[in-house]
Amino acid sequence: MDRLIYTSLSAMRGAMARQQATANNLANASTPGFRGEIAEAQALWLDGPSLTDRAMASEEVVNADMKAGSITATGRDLDIALGGDSLLAVQADDGDEAYTRRGDLQLSSSGLLTTGDGRPVLGQGGPITLPPADKISIAEDGRILVVPAGGDPSQSQEVDRLKIASPAGSAIAKGLDGLFRVKGGGVLPVDPDAHVTSGQLEESNVSATKALVDMIDASRAWDTQLKLITSARDLDGASAELMRLPQ
Amino acid sequence: MSNQALQVARSGLDAQNRRMQVIANNLANVNTTGFKRDRASFESLAYQQIIAAGTSSSAENKYATGLNLGTGVQMTGTERMNTQGSISTTGNALDLAIEGSGFFQVQMPDGRTAYTRAGNFSLSPEGTVVTGDGMPLQPQIQVPQGATSISVGADGTVSAIVAGETAPTELGKVETARFVNDAGLQPIGDNLLLETAASGTPQTGAAGLEGRGSIRSGALESSNVNVVEELVDMIETQRAYEVNSKMIQAADEMMKNANQQL
Repeated sequence: MDRLIYTSLSAMRGAMARQQATANNLANASTPGFRGEIAEAQALWLDGPSLTDRAMASEEVVNADMKAGSITATGRDLDIALGGDSLLAVQADDGDEAYTRRGDLQLSSSGLLTTGDGRPVLGQGGPITLPPADKISIAEDGRILVVPAGGDPSQSQEVDRLKIASPAGSAIAKGLDGLFRVKGGGVLPVDPDAHVTSGQLEESNVSATKALVDMIDASRAWDTQLKLITSARDLDGASAELMRLPQ
Repeated sequence: MSNQALQVARSGLDAQNRRMQVIANNLANVNTTGFKRDRASFESLAYQQIIAAGTSSSAENKYATGLNLGTGVQMTGTERMNTQGSISTTGNALDLAIEGSGFFQVQMPDGRTAYTRAGNFSLSPEGTVVTGDGMPLQPQIQVPQGATSISVGADGTVSAIVAGETAPTELGKVETARFVNDAGLQPIGDNLLLETAASGTPQTGAAGLEGRGSIRSGALESSNVNVVEELVDMIETQRAYEVNSKMIQAADEMMKNANQQL
């Protein structure tokens, strides 16, 4: 039987992987600061003694789409939206510094500042812990200002400064926990032009229309490969018919 | 080849469905005194690694990027938005509103202390200041029979003119409680919240001090639900639900075609 069916099968696997990536993008359309994934196919030529005539398709999630998501005003003091392409430094589960665009910050009972999915936010020297405060505000440059409990509301004090990193010039990739890390390890430099707006939240950057088109595209690619497999089956059947000995 | 896209889209449907419940509860409580709106919070589920970046693709080459497929979304929690609700004047002396942070403390029938922002208090037949459900305010304030002109000061001092006297008598003080993380309080219905490990311990004391808000007598704090905002969220949720159901349809079509044609 023609090896074509295996080539098609590889493309179908790719289409399915692309469909899952698109489904994940659509499912995360309401996750704050989520960055959609881009799936892309590449040809894998199989070298061998025979004629190189088959390219297996390899579908991969190559990168995250880093364009900014839309920003919604929430009025909550601890919601921040990052300007430009800067990233907020957080501590990943393995203790490493990782990056996110998620800006719905929370305060735990011990005063630890975390993102909405529970990652401790990093400041000048590690995770940020805030003292009991009457008011917490985040300045445009990422400085965290608090009015201590019982303090003068007009005299806010700087406690720490969010580490806002610039990914310019560094290759970053999304890890299995959905956080960004520098490829090959290392940390990103602090962004000198960091710009933060508090009281606003960046939404997911998934474009539903684009994702729906991707979805139809993957479905059709799947169907086309299916057609090829059925054609190969028909051809195979025809040649078997031809070879049949007359009764 | 099991179709993961179906499961991923299903997680999206689940999450949006729950978000709709949160919005419905916000809208249902638009007129509840002292109610704070909840916001649904989402996070992406773990990624499955099919190909690790940097592993060999052939003898000489390495994969520049990995193949990491996301497995969907989940709702991680509801976050109470503790912004101030608008204050409306009622003229009733025992209607109290807190301007700023803090909660009233009330004693539940089982003896535990619950916290509330709803300040629509009244007097029990015995003269105790109680909530609409009859739970006494903590510390308890007793108003003697026949007392007239009850008033509550900004610091919570309750005074009244007792029968037979002309000068007002101080009857007690309304204390409020603050929490480091008041979003961590657990709502139990009836406008009440309970202390949890996430909220921290209450810091109680007179209103208007140490960051506790001051008390406004003769006024009630309305819910902080903004109907327009909820309606916009509702439409957004509905659309997100729709695209996820489209995804289920598309993934199903793929499998259907494979089943029919192969």
